[in-house]
Amino acid sequence: MPGALDGVRILDLTWGAAGALGVLLLAEQGTDTLKVEPPGGDPFRSYDGYKVWTRSRRAVQVDLKAEAGQRAFHRLVETADVVVESFRPGVADRLGVGYAACAATNPRLVYCSVPAWPEGHRFADRAGYDALVQAAAGQQWEQPGWRPGPIFLAMPMPSMGTIYLVASGVLAALIARESTGRGQHVRTSLLQGVLLYTTQIWQYIEKADAAVYGLMAKTNPPGVHQGMIFECADREFVHISVMSGKTPTKTLDEILDVEALPAAEVEGLLPLEAQNLMNVRRREAFKAWKRDELVAELIANNQIGEAVVTPEEQFEHPQLQANDMAVRVEDRELGSVTQMGVPIHLLGTPGAIVGPQPAVGEHDAEVFGDLGYSADEIAQITGGRR
Amino acid sequence: MYALEGLRLIDFGQYLAGPFGPMILGDLGMEVIKVEPVAGDGMRMAATPFLGCQRGKRDIALNVKDPLGHELALRLVGTADAVHHNMTKGTATRLGLDYDACRAVKADVVYCNTYAYGLNGPLSEFGGLDPLYQASAGLEHEAGAVPHGHDPLYYRYGMCDTSNAMLSVVGVLAALYHRQRTGEGQELWTSLMDGATVFASDVVVHEDGTPSVRPKLDAAQRGFDAGYRLYETNDGWVQVAAIRKDRWSALCATLGVDASRDRALVEEALEAAFRTRTAVMWSHALDDAGVPNEVARQVNGGEALLFDADVERLGLVADYEHPILGRLRQFGTTIDFSDTPGHINGPPPRVGEDTRAILDELGYSGAEMDDLRAGGVVTWPDESYPWGW
Repeated sequence: MPGALDGVRILDLTWGAAGALGVLLLAEQGTDTLKVEPPGGDPFRSYDGYKVWTRSRRAVQVDLKAEAGQRAFHRLVETADVVVESFRPGVADRLGVGYAACAATNPRLVYCSVPAWPEGHRFADRAGYDALVQAAAGQQWEQPGWRPGPIFLAMPMPSMGTIYLVASGVLAALIARESTGRGQHVRTSLLQGVLLYTTQIWQYIEKADAAVYGLMAKTNPPGVHQGMIFECADREFVHISVMSGKTPTKTLDEILDVEALPAAEVEGLLPLEAQNLMNVRRREAFKAWKRDELVAELIANNQIGEAVVTPEEQFEHPQLQANDMAVRVEDRELGSVTQMGVPIHLLGTPGAIVGPQPAVGEHDAEVFGDLGYSADEIAQITGGRR
Repeated sequence: MYALEGLRLIDFGQYLAGPFGPMILGDLGMEVIKVEPVAGDGMRMAATPFLGCQRGKRDIALNVKDPLGHELALRLVGTADAVHHNMTKGTATRLGLDYDACRAVKADVVYCNTYAYGLNGPLSEFGGLDPLYQASAGLEHEAGAVPHGHDPLYYRYGMCDTSNAMLSVVGVLAALYHRQRTGEGQELWTSLMDGATVFASDVVVHEDGTPSVRPKLDAAQRGFDAGYRLYETNDGWVQVAAIRKDRWSALCATLGVDASRDRALVEEALEAAFRTRTAVMWSHALDDAGVPNEVARQVNGGEALLFDADVERLGLVADYEHPILGRLRQFGTTIDFSDTPGHINGPPPRVGEDTRAILDELGYSGAEMDDLRAGGVVTWPDESYPWGW
């Protein structure tokens, strides 16, 4: 069965997480996706994780610094619905593949730009590695950690917000195109990806009192949710949730065999303060439990908690396995490997992994041959020599 | 014209992972009607999380467990293009609001459920909060630098909720595009668990169970490598990204460190050198040497970013007057469109803010509205409004 986005062709000019993974969300709902790389390939390819983020697409090399390459790119633009690029603002224009040039070639084109900093921002010309945006946008200072000062976010959070803005911006423009008949320039940035994840904590509220800010404030040691991480036996950890969506058959304290606080000690405390006080009592009891046995006991009693695993262990989770989210992919270099599946589950038009990360230039001959180019011309386009 | 103009979504969600997605779809020009329990969305207990995912919505406060309320809910669905919620598995069926019930009144509806654990599997009927999935995907283990003897660390951005919601935005838009071209609606789902796994989707596990090499956080939570980490200066911190070899050499040269020694020794020497000058001085020196870097900024609860001159000028924040809270500023449009601009349709609503207007559109008289309210089927704000927002 064709995917929801069957027949949509995307040219992916991006490097890095935000563009690659944003395009992946679309590619696995049925688009025909071409990764367009400079001769020799995208430098991020040296990173194994990139094999996941750039799967489900074909790959061609195009030397945009050569006239033949630029012309060939525009031939591709004629056939495309979407271009996604992640250059710094202005660079695509200088290469002759900016929005204006591409829209002149194909007025129905949806052209998505995803730099680190938006055009017109004072940092727009600065390098845009994820951690640089974390630092300059304040995300590192706002994360508590084990020492004072800014904390490096191991998860590339700005990029991981931006992936969704790329995919949803492109789709909204495709939907609008059905009414207007025109393509348009869609722009987002890693900075906007940062903003996307601030909703619970960064707001200015004129008449807010202290309590409004208190619950979600940065605290050292970190607050409400951090307090529900408990150490079990063998220095393994579990994160307990205060709600499971079900009616528990035993309370957490019955499972742990911990006595409630005397009423006098709790009197006058805020619920969170009472919880933190109670957690002090619970900590020793947790250490008597083996982590996985405790998680099983919680679930048996309609309570819920998760083992704090390493990222590498996540695919052993029965829920990921039951929902096709831990899948085998035959990678060209690594062989049979387990990776993330397709995280958007359309039941009428299911998505699918189309194939592993393509090799550099794997589809040069096929794609440019289809456009009628000779082998000599293809060599010029792709920066190769014959 | 807005990108999604003319499309209507009914949002039965509560808390975060449900409501955040419809809010973003609203920013893209969709008309979003929040169907809120008469007693209020469960998230109203906490101001910023609630306010952060409700702006721009119209709000009808409706008891869908009452037969009249249920009938009203389905009448609204009949006018809609999409339905969205985060009820636990089975709840929508019990309420008579599952895909089949909605499809019966709107054949081509796009119907999205954002779950906690996903549709299938032994835990599919459980609900859950963001921290569970920061645990399950390995994010907390990594953030805390647990292999160095620390405890796991929760990211206070709560971004697994947002990830689930954003997966649903992409899914709903893909389904709407498919519907535009074929006339067919469909059901779709996303989950908190999958949303978390997206964040650790660079994990690749070999057939023999060994994982591929991924960068690891150091014990002091400064970064991945001497060339990609935070350095403390004599007044603040600088993040460097000297990943290319030529930039690593330039970093060492700028700091006056001999790069030819063992990398651990070079890193120690860099740390010592960084402490001799201010963050801004080193940042400019690194700029001159072509080494990507930024001073880590303190934003004081986000305020410095929300009131940053460039962020304001570029329209990345939204301001509104809230009837109780006064001036409210949040992040603005996250995507810019040259032809169909984004659109923020006002502040987060109070419980039942638009109940009367929506009932009026459905043809109810004022007397009928009063009867529904007296029967506890609907409500709207008056002088005795109990909430602070």
